[in-house]
Amino acid sequence: MTSAAAVLDLPGHAPALPLITVRDLRVAYGEHVVLDGVDLDLRPGETVALLGSSGSGKSTLMRSLTGFAPVTRGTVRVAGHDVTHLPRGGLRALRSDVGQVFQQFHLIPRLSVLTNVLTGALHEAGAVNLVGGFSRAHRVRAMALLDRVGIAHKAKEPARSLSGGQQQRVAIARALMQQPRVILADEPVASLDPRLAGSVLRLLRQIATEDGIPVLVSLHVLPLALEHADRVVGLRHGRVLVDAPAAQADPAALAALYAGEDEHDDHDL
Amino acid sequence: MTTTSDAPARRTTPPPLPPEERARLERAFSVPRTRFLLGIPVAAAVLLWSMGGAEFNFVKLGEGSVTMAEFLSRLFPPDFSKLGTILELLVETLQMAVVGTVLGAVLSLLVAFAAASNIAPRWLYYPARWAMNVIRSVPDLVFALMFVSAVGLGPFAGILAMTLGSLGSIGKIFAEAMEAVDRGPVVAMQAVGASKRQIIQYGVLPQAAPLLVSYTLLLFEGNVRGATILGLVGAGGIGLELTTAMRMYDYGHLSAITICIIVLVTVIDQGSALIRRRIT
Repeated sequence: MTSAAAVLDLPGHAPALPLITVRDLRVAYGEHVVLDGVDLDLRPGETVALLGSSGSGKSTLMRSLTGFAPVTRGTVRVAGHDVTHLPRGGLRALRSDVGQVFQQFHLIPRLSVLTNVLTGALHEAGAVNLVGGFSRAHRVRAMALLDRVGIAHKAKEPARSLSGGQQQRVAIARALMQQPRVILADEPVASLDPRLAGSVLRLLRQIATEDGIPVLVSLHVLPLALEHADRVVGLRHGRVLVDAPAAQADPAALAALYAGEDEHDDHDL
Repeated sequence: MTTTSDAPARRTTPPPLPPEERARLERAFSVPRTRFLLGIPVAAAVLLWSMGGAEFNFVKLGEGSVTMAEFLSRLFPPDFSKLGTILELLVETLQMAVVGTVLGAVLSLLVAFAAASNIAPRWLYYPARWAMNVIRSVPDLVFALMFVSAVGLGPFAGILAMTLGSLGSIGKIFAEAMEAVDRGPVVAMQAVGASKRQIIQYGVLPQAAPLLVSYTLLLFEGNVRGATILGLVGAGGIGLELTTAMRMYDYGHLSAITICIIVLVTVIDQGSALIRRRIT
């Protein structure tokens, strides 16, 4: 990970090479085009918030980065993997390099917090793991990560006994256990109350700057994005409408992302 | 927005419930729906038709109750003089049930992996389901007869029959328990780059485990009861002693055997129910 720190985008240095590069991405489910000509770059250490109303293509863009979406045109490169032309077995290698955080945490409810974190190392766990064993080195690392996210005192508890905010911290520790080169967080705070949402997003941003890992986080609450991200990228109807540093984002352009939202809501209710 | 004028407000409001439908929902005593009124006579007709076919007859039952009372009276007093033999055979029955259940559960688990749609590929899923359906439709006694002729009289044949019978009864339930797990942890395990085996080990099995254990205990209860029957065809256990006592008109002994079986089955059922309550 020292190399990642070395290529950090520090002032006065040449910009580091992006770890996520999306060019002219088009994703379609049959006739239905979800993403149309999307470009995106994420450099080491930066936190980018992905914005857009439901149906804008946010989730599909996230999924296309880990090979879960049918790409019909364009290129997607993530941590050195060419996602659209993966070799045999390349999908698992790609996914093990990408730490993912989900809206519903997706922990294994009955297993302990520690075991849940350890599952992040499954891709490097050998045959010993057949009987449920993880090496001492893995366990030490998992405990250190739990210290980092502030949940070490709950290590023995079953995951289901934790609050939502704590579960999301465990999920982040699991993602870090992968020693990821990129972190993707799809609506990580949508199920949390606002106070916890802020602390989880601060944690993600801290990880990005300290470890030099780019963090792409999709959010639907604009103020959270402006407060906790370095850059905001706004999607509408499958196209990038906004891509600007959080401090300089044009309020009118951001409002345009959600134009027509209210009427939609009225129809649904 | 809804206060500006009538037209847009009506456009955004969902269509109201028809007044007659609303009145129906609010009435305290509602007239049963047509499908219910039609269903009752149909169900009654099916029941009567089945009773006719099965020669169900209240008069005969009344006449027979006298004979039945006489039979029951002969069971008293129970004769526990051969308690040693009974206990020995009961232990054998229990041992058969333990081995049959363990083998059956392990086999069921393996087949269930092949028969769970969220784990197995299509080409494996359909044959596995089909095989289990076939096994389930064969009565355990048929398996017992088959294995008695294959490996000879004795508990071993009983165990083999019970293993196959177990597969038929819980293989599909195991598969469905695995299909019913929350998809989230499975997605998370795919996302960390886990192998198929690891996804099952961490994403599926821990979630399904309480159900699997619970079903295995239920199976064990059933197998203890079932093991008492298998002896009828000479496949070990207490069943043979039971039939012999009946044939020899040794009612005191028959009664003692029955009481012992009832005690054993009750103890096992209660114990298993207790464990199942604790784990689910």
